[in-house]
Amino acid sequence: MQTFILALYVLIWPLISLAVLAIIGVATVKDIRMARRDKRELV
Amino acid sequence: MNEENFYQFSTMTVLALLVFFYGGTYLLTLLIKKKKENTDAFMVSNHQIGFGLGAASMTATWIWAASFYGAATSGYTYGISGPLHYGLWGALMILFIYPFGRRFRKLAPNAHTLGELIHARHGSSSQLILASSNILGSIISLMVNFTASGALVSVLSPLSFQAGVVIAGVGVLGYTLWSGFRASVLTDFAQLMAMMAVAILIIPAVLFALGGPNTLLDGMSLLTPEQANLFSMDAILNQGAPFFVAVLAYAIGNQTISQRLFAVREDHIKPTFITATIGYGAIVIGLGMIGLMALMTGMEPIGGDMNNLIPQMVSMYLSPVFIGLFFILVIGSLSSTADSDLSAMSAIVMADVYGKNIAKNKPDPTKMLFIGRLTMIVATIIGVILASFSMDILIMLVFVGALWGAIVFPVIASCFWDRVTNTAFTSAVIAGLVMFCVARFELIPMVTVTAGLFELLAAVGGGVVLGLMAFGFCGRRVGVIFGVISAIVLAYFSVGFLRDYTVLLASLMAYGVSIIVCVGISLLNSSKFDFSQIDQKVINYDPAQPATQG
Repeated sequence: MQTFILALYVLIWPLISLAVLAIIGVATVKDIRMARRDKRELV
Repeated sequence: MNEENFYQFSTMTVLALLVFFYGGTYLLTLLIKKKKENTDAFMVSNHQIGFGLGAASMTATWIWAASFYGAATSGYTYGISGPLHYGLWGALMILFIYPFGRRFRKLAPNAHTLGELIHARHGSSSQLILASSNILGSIISLMVNFTASGALVSVLSPLSFQAGVVIAGVGVLGYTLWSGFRASVLTDFAQLMAMMAVAILIIPAVLFALGGPNTLLDGMSLLTPEQANLFSMDAILNQGAPFFVAVLAYAIGNQTISQRLFAVREDHIKPTFITATIGYGAIVIGLGMIGLMALMTGMEPIGGDMNNLIPQMVSMYLSPVFIGLFFILVIGSLSSTADSDLSAMSAIVMADVYGKNIAKNKPDPTKMLFIGRLTMIVATIIGVILASFSMDILIMLVFVGALWGAIVFPVIASCFWDRVTNTAFTSAVIAGLVMFCVARFELIPMVTVTAGLFELLAAVGGGVVLGLMAFGFCGRRVGVIFGVISAIVLAYFSVGFLRDYTVLLASLMAYGVSIIVCVGISLLNSSKFDFSQIDQKVINYDPAQPATQG
């Protein structure tokens, strides 16, 4: 049990990073589409 | 340092990696390059940055090379709780700033710097305190990031330290110079994607290369009781608390953060900052785990230098491909922060110095743009020189941190309370800074009544920090009540105790003294400021506005 908790404590952070990576990636694709639709610059 | 213990890339390989990184980043900026850039867009894009790019840019900016090394050092020194006490507080500060950021945006929707808002509220002296502290802070940040590049290149390749410094300086300036903040935001996205992908791969790779989770369980026997304790008081008092207080000051005082507050679409500020909070925390705490793993395997940092922990672990346990990825991770983190510093400094000189104080709100956009680019070139040269000669100017960072600590309350109070005056602002900042120095450098012997008085002032400072956090999320009444109760509780525990933790005592003193002076002088003033004046005074400079959402 302690091994599992230790492994989780170390590996949870890359998992959260992966989730954030996905959120930011999807949101940026939406940003690009919205900018094109509104005919404005992305940045 | 014994460089034979690190994996060595050939000169050609490391140059290829650097050309790949900086060349790719430069090519990316060509996508947005315009023959004639808009002055306002050069500083804050079009105030319409979306959630994805905004969150990526905020996260990439907040993570610098020192984040990895600092988190790993914390994990190695304080054990289980170490990485949390480095990454968690830094992350929460991104979260903490957004309620105040929304107020800044509401007061001055066309602002480029926080200094402009303060100029409209108080005038030049308060604004220039903020501007000068930012320029000093960004120069130091540039130097630290270029130094990190030099150290990395010299450790992992036959190239010299100076070569690494110059390549980073030229590379970052090359892709930021023309489009300014726009280039910074776009490249931050690509750099963050790369950093996250590498972090996601490297952390489990190191764990399993060590022998998997069972090795960690075996390594628990190497930890002291304090290191094995998730709620270690040693870690809280020596790492967590001082860092918490210092980073709060950085979040409010730093133009790289406020620049993004003014650039993100107003309705996206909250999700942007929440996502950046989680992203920053996950990457930095995760990489801090490498320091913890080093501790649990009994590894000793080469030459006793904690900055060697991560490169040493990666060199010892991972294949050259992963070492290459680690190289990109560090170069990406330092470059994203360095380009943000260049953009921040250029905006400060363009808007705060030239726009407000020289051109008196009627600047020539072409000249303004030229000044911004010239600022970037000069700042890069200074950063490269300071880094190349390994000049010890980090002591200046102590003063910048103290200055920002003393600025926090006056800045926030100026945006919410109509009785704060210019005199109250400047007096509070100066008094906070002076008392910080007295406590930090123990200019007065820290004994008996003096020490007790300082501890009480620090308790007030602690109440300010916690009260401001409560105020940001729950409103004025809750903030005041929570702040007062916190100060009383902290006073009870601080007296006779905090004098042994000089850094924490001095940092909290800056907050405590500045609130007392700021509130005291403001209460003497009966006139009230009309906040609607700020929007009228803080304007866009370029008549050719960038295309924005309708």
